[in-house]
Order: sequence, then structure tokens, then C-alpha cells
Amino acid sequence: MSRRGTISRTGGPWVSAVALLLALFWVFPVYWMLNTALKPRKDVMSATPKFFPGPPSLDNFRTALTQTNFAGDLRNSVIVVGATVLVSLGLGLFAAAALTRFTFRGRRTIMISILVVQMVPPSALLIPTFLVFNKIGLLGTYLGLVLAYLALVLPFSIWVMRGFFLAVPVEVEEAGRLDGASQWQILTKILFPLVVPGAVATSIFTFITAWNDYLIAYTFMQDQNRYTLPVWLASFTTPDKGTDFASQMAASVLFSLPVVIFFLFLQRRLVSGMSAGAVKG
Amino acid sequence: MSLLTEDRRPGLAAPGTAHRPRRAPRAPWLMVAPSLTVIAVVTLAPIVLLAFVSFTTYDQRSLFTGIYDWAGIDQYTQLLQDSAFWAATVRTFLFTAALVAGSVVIGAFFAYLLTRLGTVVRTILTVSLVLAWAMPTVASSVVWNWLFQPGYGVANWLLTKLMIFGDLTDTNWSNDKWLAFVVIWLLIVWQAVPFIALTLYAALTQIPAEMTEAARIDGAGEWRTWWSITMPILKPTFLLVTILSVIWDFNVFNQIWLVSGGGPGDSTSTLGVYAYKTAFVGFHVGQGAAIALVTTVLLAAVSWMYVKQLVRSGESL
Amino acid sequence: MPKRRYLYALSAGLVATIGLTACSSGSSQGPDSPQAVPTGSKAAGKKITVWVMQDDYTDKTLNAINAQFTKETGATVDVQTQQWDGITTKITTALSTSTPPDVLDLGNTQVASFAATGGLADLTSYKKDLQQGQTWLGGLVEPATVDGKLYAVPGFAGARAVIYNKTMWQKAGVTSAPTTMSELESDLAKVRSAHTGGDFSPFYLPGQDWYVAMQFVWAAGGDLATTSGGKWTGGMSTPQAQKGLQAFKKFQNAYSSKASQTLFTDTPDQNQVFADGKTSAIVSTNGAIANIQKANPSLKNSDLGTFALPAAEGGTQPVMLGGSDWGIAAKSQNQQLALQWAKIAASPQIQNKWVFGNDGWIPNSTQATKAAGANVPALTKGFFDAALRSKATPASPQWATIEGTKDVNNFFSSIASGKQSVADAAKSFDGKLNKTLNAG
Repeated sequence: MSRRGTISRTGGPWVSAVALLLALFWVFPVYWMLNTALKPRKDVMSATPKFFPGPPSLDNFRTALTQTNFAGDLRNSVIVVGATVLVSLGLGLFAAAALTRFTFRGRRTIMISILVVQMVPPSALLIPTFLVFNKIGLLGTYLGLVLAYLALVLPFSIWVMRGFFLAVPVEVEEAGRLDGASQWQILTKILFPLVVPGAVATSIFTFITAWNDYLIAYTFMQDQNRYTLPVWLASFTTPDKGTDFASQMAASVLFSLPVVIFFLFLQRRLVSGMSAGAVKG
Repeated sequence: MSLLTEDRRPGLAAPGTAHRPRRAPRAPWLMVAPSLTVIAVVTLAPIVLLAFVSFTTYDQRSLFTGIYDWAGIDQYTQLLQDSAFWAATVRTFLFTAALVAGSVVIGAFFAYLLTRLGTVVRTILTVSLVLAWAMPTVASSVVWNWLFQPGYGVANWLLTKLMIFGDLTDTNWSNDKWLAFVVIWLLIVWQAVPFIALTLYAALTQIPAEMTEAARIDGAGEWRTWWSITMPILKPTFLLVTILSVIWDFNVFNQIWLVSGGGPGDSTSTLGVYAYKTAFVGFHVGQGAAIALVTTVLLAAVSWMYVKQLVRSGESL
Repeated sequence: MPKRRYLYALSAGLVATIGLTACSSGSSQGPDSPQAVPTGSKAAGKKITVWVMQDDYTDKTLNAINAQFTKETGATVDVQTQQWDGITTKITTALSTSTPPDVLDLGNTQVASFAATGGLADLTSYKKDLQQGQTWLGGLVEPATVDGKLYAVPGFAGARAVIYNKTMWQKAGVTSAPTTMSELESDLAKVRSAHTGGDFSPFYLPGQDWYVAMQFVWAAGGDLATTSGGKWTGGMSTPQAQKGLQAFKKFQNAYSSKASQTLFTDTPDQNQVFADGKTSAIVSTNGAIANIQKANPSLKNSDLGTFALPAAEGGTQPVMLGGSDWGIAAKSQNQQLALQWAKIAASPQIQNKWVFGNDGWIPNSTQATKAAGANVPALTKGFFDAALRSKATPASPQWATIEGTKDVNNFFSSIASGKQSVADAAKSFDGKLNKTLNAG
């Protein structure tokens, strides 16, 4: 019997061809961004599009990197987003586990509330959240920004992970209990590993959501030394003086890199390690 | 204990075996408490404030001076009498339906595709998806505007070359209601599919391959296997992804604003854009709060049935 | 809060904070008597925060102001550069806190909304002292004045003029810049016949460019909106405005590409269009020349020229004055220091030497602008000529909403593209103006 029993039979070369075509189509705008970033500025606009940069040039990247405070903003982004991902993972895993593997009073209310709070349009909440944070003194702090991001991602993550927890049969826990594992061990050594794919999907979502946020970071942070990378990216657009598209595209490429790296690091874990019939123990 | 012999749908315990050996009822509360505290402070408190403000005339002046007036339900009555609001509501429902259908169907297709690929091609496809997802909105909106630019747009150029629709070189997509929606739809779906695809894919990998293998060996076609075997198991996740999509697409703002600004005129103004244009751009927070709350209620009403089903589908565990 | 009490509180607060004794005058006088901006050097160890918009001032200019400020007061300055995207949200939220920035660089189209809603400090009693003998440019000081009270100090101005490719024009047989509309049109005809390429626009004017479109309306005697007795009335349906709108449509359709009818100046970036040789003329502000040359380094100063867009009615078209003003937060904790800083930034010395001399902007007063115009290189003279006839957007706090919703852009682009007739478009836009400007 297969161990990692999920992807045992591939669909053959036609399927791969379709997949590659789709991948090409999907990545085209990204490719266009890269293409523009590598073009010398004067080639950026032409009636007949140039699909490949004439000779590619790194000038735009150089311009981008030397623009306002790249290093500082990068550092702030890494700190804030890193913390957000870790905290939301920790909090979310336990909350989702609690909501699915246990019954207790108020469970249903809690679950529905967590879903309903996501229905309020986020743009409407910017000012009220600002006012609340101002009162508690969280403005301008890393903690405040992390909490603001948690507001965006935590409910979402809990619900998604709930789905993954639900797919784990009761028997798995019971087997563990029979083996004498404590509640804590059952959670951390048995249950959590089985929902890793769900955790990975939500972590990527959390990373991207927090990494790309501009308005909250810009409004909540009080000192330009604390601005995050999206603010750096915004500096490439000036309404009056026109936009240097090529450099803006180069900056966007640089901006997207950490996300891609983060993803590549995790992507193998997107596949469940759960094999048919195997009950760990 | 084999999973193949019983009708064992994960999430549903077979009758009789669903017992809950639960010790200290404290444990779940402890586990959920940190999340609840965070959500209470950073989400609930602002929502309560927003609800309160919707009954006042809170605006920019109030932000500076702290002065505001009680307005009772005036904000709401005014809103419900505004025909532009109703037009925006209808538009939002229709557009959300189109977005969710597109994202979920395409996302499911990609998820299925990913299960049938070898490692290399699968990695290529997932990386492409993530690249699309990760692209910052400022860049994707610029590229999108570029692609559909009258005169220089690549999409215009390519479509003209296809010779199906005629010469599209000078079409201004954002100046026509339907074309603008098409462009916005493409932009949103393009960035929404990756998450749906990856989540569904992750869920698919939790399904034992033996089940689909057995069906295939028995001669069932792919389509049949999908509907009879995979979908029933996938249903909770599928429902979940759909409802989250509905919530997110109902409230989407950025992409619409950046492509068409709600125009031409008001023809692509969904509720989010309407709220921004009538209230938030001028910081009429009280008015905006009323719109936001009505939007929330509408969304909750629409999704109520699905939410109930979603909650129930996980409850028998 | 009655004016008198406010002034007492302000001055009492000022006195109390830094313990000034003899210098400040008038703390017990009536509200209409002018006050002098406090001067003093007892603020060592204090720091004020100044918010500057990206690309508005060079570091050198800011350093010059700061140096003089520190010399005079002993206090230091923390300059924070802000991005344009989301700036109204950022400023609004910041001004609502108890520790806002002390001095803010506010665009002149935005300052009215902050002033009218109580976010900025009332500077009326300091006006005379802040003016330092100068007559401020109307387009800068009008938006900063609400109900007769002054809320910000003019910083600098930018005007729009035509930037044209001299070399291209010379090749087409045009040897000097036009001074009348008919000269301009015949020049453009010559340029067109010399360039028969498909996507060439003799004069690139995107349909959404309302800053330039309004020039036609103003030249014909119309205006966006007028106010009387506190009520605003949209002005696009008046015969003068209609005449101006028709002239704009005719000009735009004749000389700019079809694709440009519904576009704005940023996508594609009109500087890039110019730099790539796809047009021979655009209308833009002072800063555009540097951008054009960055996009195409082979365009030297000798290849370029500027002139103010002539009015068919005679003279030059009134231009919309862009620019910014310095506001002081109403809740600032360092108001008197902020006042001193703003006074220095607006002083004739700084304006002449740095704002104009180094940054190339149009200074904040008519005297300085005239003086600058006499010394300005021929290349940028067009901007200064244009600035002499300037208008501003309606000084209503709600104007920012019209801009923010892009209603004004869409109005002009629907006229340029013919999507709506001039009369219909004007009617519906006036409706929007009436509704929005009179709200709240």
C-alpha cells in the first residue's frame, strides 16, 4: 500500500501540457512586470509591445534599491509580518482545535461570531480601529500593527483551519489516547501535524495579507522610521511628477520576492502526510 | 480498521462511536481564549464603535474637535431612500455572484489539476499561482491598466491579432460599464484563484488516494469520480472556501477603484465603492458606518443558509 | 468657541509654555488686532515635527529652513516625509490625536477641508506678521482662508504651461513660441504635417486632465462653482462655461490622439509620451522637465521650451495654481515654535534663495514671482508667465470630495470622448457640485 498515498498516478503528458499553458497564462502579468523592470526606461512604452527586454538592464533595480529607506522599511516589514504569521498560527491552531475537537457551551456562538465579524467591510473599520488603538496607546508600535493585522487574518485562519481539523477522524485521537498520550501531546504531536497543509495555506495567506498592507501601516505608524515596505513601494508614484514605471516595476519585483521565498520554503508541506488507513501510534 | 469498508466521511463519526471523552471543560476555553481576546479588542471594539457612530453625525470635524450630534436612525433612513444605494446593492450581488462562481470553479479546477501532476510541473504551476497572488496591488493594477491601455495595451494588441473582435487597439475598457467589469473580474479572479486552488488542493490531499484509485480501476471516468467520490468528501472545505469568497468578494474595493474608480458615472460602483464615494472620501464617518452596517446585514442575510449548513456539517464530530 | 476666548487661550498657552516675558504683545488685546509671531531663543531641547510631502521640497531647502529655525529658537526639527497615497486619511487621523505633527505641508486643494473642520490652528491674528510685507498669491491663500480666517501659510506654487519640443517644431518650420491661440493652431498644423506617423499627437492633452481643461473654461469667463451667502452653485452650465468647454473639446479632439480622450496624465505617463517623441507638446508643471530628461537623456535644455497656453480671448489662459501651504495643527503642542518655523519657510529670503532658487518652484507671493520671472532661464519662463494669471478650485471644504471621487475627471473625459454632450455633462456635473459642495 502506498504510504504518501495521495499523488500516486499522474495524468500523463497532455495534462502536464495543459497545466503548463495555464501556468504561462496565469503568470503573464507577473512576467510583464519583470519584463518592464528589466527594460531601459525609454523602451517601456511602444505601440507594438516588446515581449523581451532589448538588452536587459538592471538600472531600474539599482534606482529602486537606492530610493528612500529600503533597508529600514524592509526590516520593519520582516519584523511585523514575521510576528503576525507566527502569532496567528499559534493562536489559530489552538482556537480551531478547540472549536472542532471539543464540545462546550457557547461553541456555536463563538464560531458564528468569528465568521460574522469578517463580514464588516474592512475599509469602514480603519477609522474606528484607529480611534480604539489611539485610546489604548497602540499607535506607532510594532505590537499595534501586528494586532491590526491579526484582526484581518485571525478569523479567516481559524475558519479555514477548522475545515482541516474536521477532516481528521476521531479515531486518530482515540488511538493516541489509548496509547496514553496526554491532551497536550495529542494536540501537538498528533493533530497539528495532520493539519499542516491547512496551516501552510493560511500562513501564506497571512503573510501576503500582512506583507501587502499599505493603508493600515501608513496610518497607524507615526514615525517614518517605522514604516513598512509597502510605503517604500508607494514612493514610486508621485501624482504631479509622473511615475517612473520601470523603476516602480523593479521595486514591485523586489517587493514580491520575500513572499515567493516564503512560499517555496513551505510548499512541500502543502501536501498532507496522512495516508489511508494509517493511524498513527 | 480500514477506512474503505465503512462510509467514513471525515468529519462525520459513524453512529455510536461519536463519544466525547472530554475532561476539564476548561481546556477548550483556554485554547480559544487568546484568540477571542485579540478579536475582541481589535475587531469587536471597533465594530461596536462603528455601530454607535452610525447613529451620529460623526465626521471629519468630529475627529478634530470631538463634537458630534446624535442622529438617531437618520443616517439609515437617508440611505434606504437613496436610489444610488439600491443600484449599488443590486450591482454588488450580481458582481459577487460572478466573482465567486469564477474563482471557485477555476480554483477547484486548478486544485484537481494539481493532484494529477508530477512534482516538477506541479511546482511550476503552484509557483505561478503564488506569484500572481503575491503581486502587490499597486503593481498588479498598474500592469492591468497597462495591459488594457487604449493605444498601447498588450491585451488590446493580442486580441486584435486574434481577429475575432475586430480592432481593439484603442478600446478604453474602463470607459464602458461592461468592459470595465470584465477587466475587474479578471483582475480579482486572477488573484483570488491561487488561495482557493491551494486550499482545495491541500484538502484534496487529505483524501486517501485509494478511493479515487478504486473508482478509476473500476472504469469510472474522471468527471464521475470527481462528483461521486471526491466532492462529497470535499464538500465542507468547498463550502467553506465559497463562503469566504462570498464575504471577501462582496466587500472588495481596491481593485474596482483602481481600474474604473466606480465609473463610468456610477456604473461599476459596488457597495464598497459607493460607501467610499459618498462617505469615506469626505470622512463622513457616521454615514459611512450606516452603509457599512447595512452592507454587513445584507451579506449576513445572503449567506445565512450556507453558514448554517457549514456549521452543521462540522458539528457531528 | 468664541474667537476671543480662543485667542486668550492660545496666547495664554503660548506664554505659559515657554515663559516668554517681554517679547509677545497683544495677549490682552481684542481679537482683531494683529499679533507678532513670537520670537525667542529659549526653546533649546525642544523638538517640533514637520510633515513634508514627498518631492515637494528638496532636502537642501528644508535644511536651510531648519538651520535658521534652530539658530533663532534653539529647538530642533524632525522632518517626516509622507507619501501621497492615502495622505488625507493619514493627516485626518493624525490631526485627531493629541500629539499631531506641528507643521504640515498641505496641498492647496486640500487645505480648505482641514481648515474648515477645525483641524488647523487659526492664524488670522498673525497674518500680517507672517506675510512679511508680501502679497500672497491668490491661488495659495484663498483655499487657506475660511470665513475670513487664515489657517495656513503659503509655501510655494506650481503653474502649468506648455512644454514643447523646440527641435521638433523648428524642423517643422516653426521658429518662435506662439503668443495667440491662432498662432498655436497654425504651428500645430505645421507639426502635424511633418509627422504622419500613426500614434503621433501634435499636442497631447488627455481628456481627464481637468487642470488644463479648466483653463479653457476660465479663459471664457466661466468657473467651477460660485458661492454667495454660504451656498455653492455649480457653474458649468453658464454660457461662458459652455463656450469654454466646447473650445476644450474642439482643441483636444483636434490635436491629441483618440486614445487619449478618456485618459489621465499618468497612464501612460505623459512625460514618457513626450520623451518618446510621440507628441511635440504637453501641458505640465515645473517638475516635468526634469522627468522628461530623465526618461530621455538625449533631450537637452536647448531642445525644449515653454510658453503659457494662450487664450483665444486674448492674453494667456488663467491657470490652476498648484502648490502647497504650511498648516499648523490645532492640537499641536508647540504652536509658537510652529509659527516661527512657518514664518521662516514663508520668508522672502527663503522663498527667493531656496524655494525658487534651488527648487525651481514659483514663490508664494506676487512680488517674489515677478522678481523670479525676471531672473528665470528662458526654458522655464513659461511657468512664471502663466502663474501671473491664476485661479484656484472652490474654497469649499467639500471640494476634496469632488476630486477624491474623480467626478471632475470623468466629467471632462466624457466631454472629450463625446460620451455625453457638453450641455448634458455640464448639467449632471453641476448637480453633483451642488449636492456635494453644499453638504455638511
